[in-house]
This record gives sequence, C-alpha cells and structure tokens, in this order.
Amino acid sequence: MELLSEDDLNLKEMTGEELDRAWDLWFDLAQATNEFDPPYTHGVFVLCELDSAPTAPTQESPPGAATAHPEHPRRE
Amino acid sequence: MRNIYFDLTQELNTEGPIAALASGQAVVFYRLALMSKDGDWILQETPEACRRALTVLEKHGAHYRSGAPLDLRWLGGGWSSHFEFSDPQGRRIRCDFVTRPPRVRPEEVAALFSPPHLLEPMLVVGLEPLIRMKRTQRAKDYPIIGELSRLLSPEREVELTTDPDRVLALATVYGKNSERMPVRAARAGGSREDVVVALAREADRLQQEDRARLDRYRLASEPYLRELQAAKIGDLALPLAHERICEIAERWLPFNPLETGA
Repeated sequence: MELLSEDDLNLKEMTGEELDRAWDLWFDLAQATNEFDPPYTHGVFVLCELDSAPTAPTQESPPGAATAHPEHPRRE
Repeated sequence: MRNIYFDLTQELNTEGPIAALASGQAVVFYRLALMSKDGDWILQETPEACRRALTVLEKHGAHYRSGAPLDLRWLGGGWSSHFEFSDPQGRRIRCDFVTRPPRVRPEEVAALFSPPHLLEPMLVVGLEPLIRMKRTQRAKDYPIIGELSRLLSPEREVELTTDPDRVLALATVYGKNSERMPVRAARAGGSREDVVVALAREADRLQQEDRARLDRYRLASEPYLRELQAAKIGDLALPLAHERICEIAERWLPFNPLETGA
C-alpha cells in the first residue's frame, strides 16, 4: 500500500541540490498559509488555546485561524 | 537555497554536538515528504547547550513565542521552548526545542550526542526514535510512520509499520516473537481486514495516550500562558525576554506536570 503520494516518494530520486530547490520552492509557497497555521505543531503546547486578539473574524475561519498568536496578532 | 533548518542544525552544532534535527525536518532529511514549515530539535540537556542555542537564535533576531523557557529546570520536565524569526527573504522561521522528546528513552537521547553520531555531517534523530516521536495525537503522522518503517530492517519494520500489507508480508517470517496485535492477527491467519482493524485500534490507542499526556501539560500551563501573554514576551529582545520568561515560569509553571500531578 502506498502511504504517500508519488511526488513525496520521488524525493528519494533527487540529488541534494534538487532536494534543496524543491524544499525552497515548497517553503516559499507554504508561507501563504502562515496566518492560518495553528500556533504549535510540536511540543507540549499543541492542545493549548491561546487567547485571541480580536484582529480577525472568528466566523468562517479555518480551524486555528481564529486564534492569533498572543505576541503577534495578525496584521490587517 | 539550502533548507534553512538544515543550516541551523549545523550552526547549532558548530562548537560541538548539542542539537539533533527531529520531527518534520528529519522526515525531509530522510527524503520522505516536504511536510513541515517548522524546525524541531532535540537539545542536549546541559546548560551549555541552552546557552549556545540562545546565542544562535539571538544572532538571527529570534524572539520567544509562548512556551517554556529554554532552561533545564523546565526542559527536564518535558516542556518545549518555541522561537520565531524571519529569514532574509522575510519567510517565517519557527524553531522548537525539547530535551525530553516523548517516547524516547534518556539513553537514546544521550547517544545522539556521543560517538559515532559525532562523525556524521548533520545530526539527525535516528529512524526508530523518530517513529516513536511521530506517535502523536495527529492522524497525519501515521502514514509517515509507515514510510519511515520501510527504511528499517524487516525485523524492525514488522514491529513498527502502519501499513497492513507490510504487516501481512513480514509477519510470518519476521514476526515470530512479536507481541504486537496486528502482527499476531496476521500470524494467526487473520484476514487483511483483521490486520487493518488491529492497526486502527493500535493507532487510536497511541493517539489517545499522546492526547492524555498533552492534556496534563495544557492544564498545567494555562495560568502561565496568560501571564506570558500579558508580559508581551515576544516584543522583547531575546536576552531580556529569557530573563523575564524565567521569572514568570518560576512563579507559574511547574517543572514537571507529570510528576506533580498538576
């Protein structure tokens, strides 16, 4: 059973330079979703709900988007 | 451009090994998936390692995010420390540190910073500890465990894989001594569905265990996080922020919520 996509598994075929370029492109694109990321993805605070600063609509937002980082409220 | 988290790993270890790349960027290192925007490291549990990590982070203009101080009193209790800065292209770089990764034995952590790992060009957590770290409450980590397991010997793969077809393929020859339920189901002549169900039960149990552990930390950190928020720690330069976050933690954050029953 294939658990990951072919795009993921093709990473094994890449040279180190190609992997760096692929990661760099992916990371650039991934910046677009920064505002919607949960505050934590690792560590022991992942279940913590930080108090939100009222800078963004709380309805129709994806999970995690309504909670701005306490020290870095979203800039409009 | 190179993966900045790989570069940071080497920078952290310039004066000697103190930080092993883990979690999502380790999965990138093993060439399985581009799956994480953050960097996570297992830090050696010494004051010197904390000092050097703070120096590197300060050099990059990092600030504290809400989290535990990068201080052994809390890291030794399983807490995690979180930082953030922007790279020269303005991209968000998040750096997370633990010294007691979940489900990894202290001797495995100690071995990371001892020979023969010292001779490797980049310090990265090994496959089996990485697999155990990935046994989180998140469903998306379990397919990664299956792929990471393929990189192991068949004797170890059968003990760790989340892929029912691999369990069925390996159980007869390599699973003789396994106490794992999916392997036992396969060895007993169970159907593929039996193995799938056993794997699902196992994953659910692991997810629930991780969630229960994290709940202890969540409950123990609630007042502390409110104090951090009020103190605007992220607005302070790192040396001052470190001093201030330690002061707040001394008042509000138990060293080890798993021991205190907090």
